[in-house]
Amino acid sequence: MASIDTLGPIPGSEEVKFLGREGAYWRLRIKGAVLVIATLGIYRFWLATDVRRFLWSNTEIAGETLEYNGLATELLVGFLYAIAILVPLYMAIATVTLAGTLVLTSFALGLVLLGLLGQFALYRARRYRLTRTIFRGVRFDQRGSAWAYALRALAWWALIVLTIGLAYPWAQASLQRFKMGNTSYGNLPGRFEGSGSLLFLRGLPMWFLVVGPLVIAVATLSATTDWDALSEMLAHDDDTVGVLVDNLLLGPAYRIVLPCLGASFAAILLLYPLFQTITMRWWISGLRFGDVAAASRLRWTQVYAVYLRFALYMLLFALVASAAGVVCVFVIAALLGPGHDSNPTEIAATVITVALYVVVVLGISTIYQVAVTFAMWRLSARSVELAGARALESVLAEGAPSSALGEGLVDALGVGGI
Amino acid sequence: MLTGTPAFASAFAVPRGPGLFFDGKSSARIDVWVEITETGLRILSVDRSVLGEWPFEVLRRQSAPEGVLRLGRSDDTVLARLELRDQALIDAVEERADALDRTGAAERAVRRKVVLLSFAAMASLMVSGIFGLPVLADRVIPLIPLSAEVKLGNAVDKQIRSALDTRHLGQAFQCGQAADETAGRDALARLVGRLETAAALPLSLRIEVVRRREPNAFALPGGRVYVYEGLIDEAQSPDELGGVLAHEIGHVARRDGTRTVLQTAGLSFLFGMMLGDFVGGGAVVIAAKTVLRSSYSRRVEGAADAYSVALMSKAGGDPRALGVILARIVTDDDEGIKILSDHPDTKDRINAINAAEAPAGTTPLLDAADWSALKQICGPLPAGRLPGNGPPMKVQGHGATPHP
Repeated sequence: MASIDTLGPIPGSEEVKFLGREGAYWRLRIKGAVLVIATLGIYRFWLATDVRRFLWSNTEIAGETLEYNGLATELLVGFLYAIAILVPLYMAIATVTLAGTLVLTSFALGLVLLGLLGQFALYRARRYRLTRTIFRGVRFDQRGSAWAYALRALAWWALIVLTIGLAYPWAQASLQRFKMGNTSYGNLPGRFEGSGSLLFLRGLPMWFLVVGPLVIAVATLSATTDWDALSEMLAHDDDTVGVLVDNLLLGPAYRIVLPCLGASFAAILLLYPLFQTITMRWWISGLRFGDVAAASRLRWTQVYAVYLRFALYMLLFALVASAAGVVCVFVIAALLGPGHDSNPTEIAATVITVALYVVVVLGISTIYQVAVTFAMWRLSARSVELAGARALESVLAEGAPSSALGEGLVDALGVGGI
Repeated sequence: MLTGTPAFASAFAVPRGPGLFFDGKSSARIDVWVEITETGLRILSVDRSVLGEWPFEVLRRQSAPEGVLRLGRSDDTVLARLELRDQALIDAVEERADALDRTGAAERAVRRKVVLLSFAAMASLMVSGIFGLPVLADRVIPLIPLSAEVKLGNAVDKQIRSALDTRHLGQAFQCGQAADETAGRDALARLVGRLETAAALPLSLRIEVVRRREPNAFALPGGRVYVYEGLIDEAQSPDELGGVLAHEIGHVARRDGTRTVLQTAGLSFLFGMMLGDFVGGGAVVIAAKTVLRSSYSRRVEGAADAYSVALMSKAGGDPRALGVILARIVTDDDEGIKILSDHPDTKDRINAINAAEAPAGTTPLLDAADWSALKQICGPLPAGRLPGNGPPMKVQGHGATPHP
């Protein structure tokens, strides 16, 4: 019979591990995707709960795994709350926009309001997840006003847009400071020590590679375009988009403009994994709980490998899906062939088409969830080094679970989250 | 530290083993010895003092990695946790505590219920969509004043007109404006006048002929009807054109534009908000909405055909002319997937039209002179506005000015 001192990992270990097997996660995701479709979406609350249980309980920090004890029914109730709030809001925005003379103003106001609500939702959803996260019998907690956060976030995003992304590092640092400053594990207060300037310096070369070609394109356009003539044409022609495409994109400067746009797009595509590596390392390395400090040694080669594998899976899936598509086209053609002109066969053809589309979209999403989201979670967890983890052993419990309203809003507004 | 089997343990035949205990008040990890008693678990510390007695019925399984049984209490105010890794002990506990749902049967039953209830909800949505919404729309339409419908029609008219005018003809897009087209316009007014008198509508019609080559016509809410040049070319008698006009007047009289708006809004509410967003769900929702919309449209078109038959008879025209022109216009090869098309099976429609009482010696709605004038309502395009001018001219370099 086992004895006590042969048990488990050594106390005071400073490691973060991920124990979950990818095969189990594939099964969880595929089964979930099928049921989400079969229930027209209702099952997504159960799937989200299963996914979190799996990810949390397989993440081991200093010898103990996390625990997620949220319930799918809580998410469902949160969603219903959100619907109760959003339906009248959408209606009000639609009414004001349709009835008023200041259509653009009220539309913009509605957009700001929804943006504010989206950030509010993200903050409250984080609170829900934290208060459902248990470690060594003690829960995490988040305080702070979600409205204060939403206003801050919206102001920062406005600044990010105005500075073409240059404000992003400081925005992230400020918002993370707000979030982590209001986060605690039991009586152990959290904080964020990442520096916006540091992230700025790391990201600046990438910014030049992405925005530089755009600047060249815009400069070329403004130098070669006759704006008076263009505005006159716009005033005389209903086809605004057509005129703009003809005269700006395909205008005399197209030899410079199009390659610049292409270069910028290619830079985004090629640099995204590097960007993700840098921001993830920076974020993890800024996390603090009392005397516990995290650091990440995530390598960019690992992240590129994740995306390469994803691209490979997508290629294979595309081959399989096209083969299935060809078969379906033949089946539909046979169903709709001459002499088979009846409603049931048409319905069958429609159903086959929609089903194929749904399977393809769901397949892409599932592959992404496993090959990218799951892989990044695992990589990030394994990249963490803890200092001062001993402080985790004498934390006193505090806090209480919060409502799932934020989760519901996040779901209804479609602003994302795990 | 306690090692090996405690001396007192040998007196019991029940399994026991090591575990990890967190008391829920602090994060301290406590190595414990767990014994199974008759009613539950006894948690002993290394100094053999009892840290807790957990009855089987309050034990709850918490999420944990493979090979670990993490237990909590359903009646606890704190989050005390007991973790077992010894497989023999885990088996023994699961065997005795029904609440742990060892086989997962209880959880599966819950999930099955969710799936089945979702199916029921979907069926209920489809039934409400097929039967409930049209009835609801019928009840709501009389409550909406005609003036609102006219406003709605005016609001969409500008967009529709500019969407249809793909050749950017502007003023010239509408026929019956030029000097050589006024005779046609007067003839059309006489044809419409006969139908309008017979129809006795509560609002006035505005029939506009536009330069589009397809044989088609449609009605907007509020009495505006667009007739394409292509339809007038295709019509071989005034009664054929009259039949189509009467069909569109049917849409106006039955307020089908408003009905469509109401039904579309209802569908969006039923299928948009209630289900929320999920990957791939958009396609399913669009498919369900399309099937329902086409079922509404079949009903609406059938009713407008019946209206046309009745109106043509009342106005003294040939009610079956609509069937004749329909048969000519709709060729079988471009029907596509009919469940998704706006108009019901043309054959069914023609059969329904022909089922109307045979007309007893009707005279055409217009005389030969008027009819030939009406056929000329779309005269040649004014110079410089010939179709096929191509895309708007490009600005040629710096300082150039565009030419019309």
